[in-house]
Amino acid sequence: MSDITEPRVIGRRTPRIDGVAKLTGRADYTVDHRLEGMLHGYPVPASIAHGTLESLTLDAARAMPGVVDILHHGHFPDLHRSPNSMRQGNAVSEVRLPFEDDRIHYHGQYIALVIAETFAQARAAAFRVEARYHRDAGVMTGLAASDDEGEEVRHYTRGEPELAFGIAPVILDETYTMAAESHLQLESHATLAEWHEADQRLIVHESTQGVFYQRNALARIFDLPEERVEVISHYIGSGFGNKLFMWPHAVATAAAARMLGRPVKTVLPRQQDMMTTGHRPASRQRIRLGAELDGSLASIQHDSLTETSTVDRYVDACGGATPSAYACDSVATHQRILPVHHGTPCPMRAPGEVSGVFALESAMDELALALDMDPLALRLKNYAHQDPQRGLPWSSKHLDRCLESAAERFGWTARDPGLGAMRDGDEVIGQGMAAATWFAGRQPCAAEVELRADGSVVAACGTQDIGTGTYTIVAQTVAELTGVPIERVEVRLGETHLPAGPLSGGSMTTASTLPAVAAAVHDALTALKARATEPGGSFAGLAADSLGVESGALVADGRRADFAEILARHRLTAITGEGSAAPGDERREYSFRSFGAHFVEVRWDPGISRLRVARVVSSIDIGRAINPVAARNQVEGAIVMGIGMALLEKLDYDPRDARLINANASDYRIPVHADMPEIDVELLDHPDFRFNEFGARGIGEIGLTGIAPAIANAVHHATGKRLRNLPITVEQLVEGN
Amino acid sequence: MMESTVHPPEATVTVRLTLNGIPVTVGVSPNAILLDVLREQLGLTGPKKGCDHGQCGACTVHVDGRAMNACLRLAVMCEGQAIITIEGLAGAGHLHPVQQAFLDHDAFQCGYCSPGQIMSAVALLEDRRIAGDVATVREAMSGNLCRCGAYQNILAAIQDARLRLHGQEGGDKT
Repeated sequence: MSDITEPRVIGRRTPRIDGVAKLTGRADYTVDHRLEGMLHGYPVPASIAHGTLESLTLDAARAMPGVVDILHHGHFPDLHRSPNSMRQGNAVSEVRLPFEDDRIHYHGQYIALVIAETFAQARAAAFRVEARYHRDAGVMTGLAASDDEGEEVRHYTRGEPELAFGIAPVILDETYTMAAESHLQLESHATLAEWHEADQRLIVHESTQGVFYQRNALARIFDLPEERVEVISHYIGSGFGNKLFMWPHAVATAAAARMLGRPVKTVLPRQQDMMTTGHRPASRQRIRLGAELDGSLASIQHDSLTETSTVDRYVDACGGATPSAYACDSVATHQRILPVHHGTPCPMRAPGEVSGVFALESAMDELALALDMDPLALRLKNYAHQDPQRGLPWSSKHLDRCLESAAERFGWTARDPGLGAMRDGDEVIGQGMAAATWFAGRQPCAAEVELRADGSVVAACGTQDIGTGTYTIVAQTVAELTGVPIERVEVRLGETHLPAGPLSGGSMTTASTLPAVAAAVHDALTALKARATEPGGSFAGLAADSLGVESGALVADGRRADFAEILARHRLTAITGEGSAAPGDERREYSFRSFGAHFVEVRWDPGISRLRVARVVSSIDIGRAINPVAARNQVEGAIVMGIGMALLEKLDYDPRDARLINANASDYRIPVHADMPEIDVELLDHPDFRFNEFGARGIGEIGLTGIAPAIANAVHHATGKRLRNLPITVEQLVEGN
Repeated sequence: MMESTVHPPEATVTVRLTLNGIPVTVGVSPNAILLDVLREQLGLTGPKKGCDHGQCGACTVHVDGRAMNACLRLAVMCEGQAIITIEGLAGAGHLHPVQQAFLDHDAFQCGYCSPGQIMSAVALLEDRRIAGDVATVREAMSGNLCRCGAYQNILAAIQDARLRLHGQEGGDKT
């Protein structure tokens, strides 16, 4: 495909095509969907984190009005575990099946699923289920204090990092921790399953970031051919990684639908959602830097330890971005995991790297101080002009421009580097910065496009729109390539009977999906041109490739014929095109990443230890933004989430028994409107045509990387306190005053 | 977490209310929450359940003109009251100026909190006691969580809608 260098619709601010449905309450999220004869499921969570379920007493619950059945370990079909393979596309979040045995591995693990005629009946009965447990000794409540606990799962080395560290004139050796975070996406996980006995088909409505992964996993779990399982997800009340792969509630609900022969809907209550459907695991990271006196990095060592559960091995790879972050000959990263008795962690927005960037960019700030260098100058001094990890050129990198532009808009040169030196009335001003980065990837994708006789165009792809704007950018792509107004473009996503599309994850959806849609458009246009140049066609006698496309019409020799007119002439209701796209040889020639810079101003009132983020100025290099208004929204939203990470968010597990204490939206705090700083986001516009013909690398995650360290660095500038444990709390700020 | 008692939803109380301008009579259990009655019994799924305990605001509806969390209100308390949900905010085929402003300013991402954000925004724009400056609006909207973090655009939409509705700049104390 040829590069889209002079777009008319791509790159233009475009109101979302799903906006009216969402803003009028008509959008049919999974939690809203209803089916005739539908039953309701309500799970019963374990109240201990480690032990055995000794007995369940169900008599009282069964006697409650409307109760149809109660599923549990002694009353559940024999199912199969999913192979849990990314390559096969059947990865799941928790491979253990619900009610598999009587072991309890974490607080909130389902011990029963009550099925009743109404939601209220199911909930009421669930509270009447009585459970007796045996608590086992040796509960693992979280990371301890040693760097060598757990098991090493990954490592990377280049050069002689230990040797270089040993002889470097300036060194830094510090440890950084982050608390576990909850995604707290506002739509709980939900499943509505229907079993069709006659043709042995399973249809599942799920709030998911990956309909195909869930379909493939369900097919294996229920031992059905993939074509007899359908997964549907039209609107998703966000999911920041915790809806990528299926959780046990969906398996239990689908099993209930098959057992009972009626549709069953389970919507997880918020507490259970927070206990059982993943979180960003807590991490401990040790960073060792060695530098020459001029600031050149001689050695980077990044050792990470993250939690996993006792039922799975989730690796939150903190060191992922470190080997390519800076020009440095000697780099090592090590990753360990430690099983603890918490629910299984899972990817959460910019998984791994965002934690790693917090540690590395905090350490770089500390190193700059030790060197008496400006933190911005230290980044530029160690600028990686090519990818030092793979030894390949970057496809497109403008981090230097991000750093310079954001610094200029922020007013960095006016910063007084003295700690606590900048004041405004009672408030001390702190200013800090950090670099941002996230890898750029693509997944295989197929799509279908139909040119219709009524003048409309329908584009279909089995990916999802989780709020990032996928519906709209697909419509923009069709409008761009056909000239049909965007109002006449219909987009269908989130169904497994559509051509296979990618996960909505990893910031890969845009770069994966749009080239496939474009290929399908070209395929449809090729078919249309063939018809139009047949004998009796609108352009009979002309060569098909001599026809142009303009405003929903084919044109040649100063004549034009609308798509609809051509279809009508041939008595066709529609012409369909198919297309697919996948990453190719460019992977061997270039390294692909996105880059950015955040500059943050905090205000600290030492009298009452009140800290707030006052101002964030960011520049982000993601290639081209397909819909700039939605792209900027992604970065602004990520900045908000980063404020939560830095100052508010922490899942609290009881240090005695590993029970999750704050599994609700009041005790687990996220930023609200009143926490908003002034935000100034700039999206650089350097299309990356080495990545794809749209020049887009994706934008969902990069904005979150670098915010927390920029805040922590600003806090140090204001207070003189180097706070290496997130979230930064009032207690930490008061301590030692 | 399973300690609190939930009474069996057997008994039924008849409640008469006006829902989006239409008189409605509905039989509810005495402990039924307004949000569950709207969603499960009356088929209005615009008000969303986010936290189910008054923290996220996704369920915000207007009760006799005041914005309230439908998850914190018993349905039986609504006898004789007028309730407006997002579905009843504008006439069919039309957008309320606040909805239009949300669309224009991209004041949402996943859209799940949007019905609640919009109902709160409409109420605050109609409440002459609430000043129009940015800090006040942010404070007044802080009962509506947006995990996608579209706060900047929501604020812009509200201030734009203020102009469309009242023709006044933010900052006026009225």
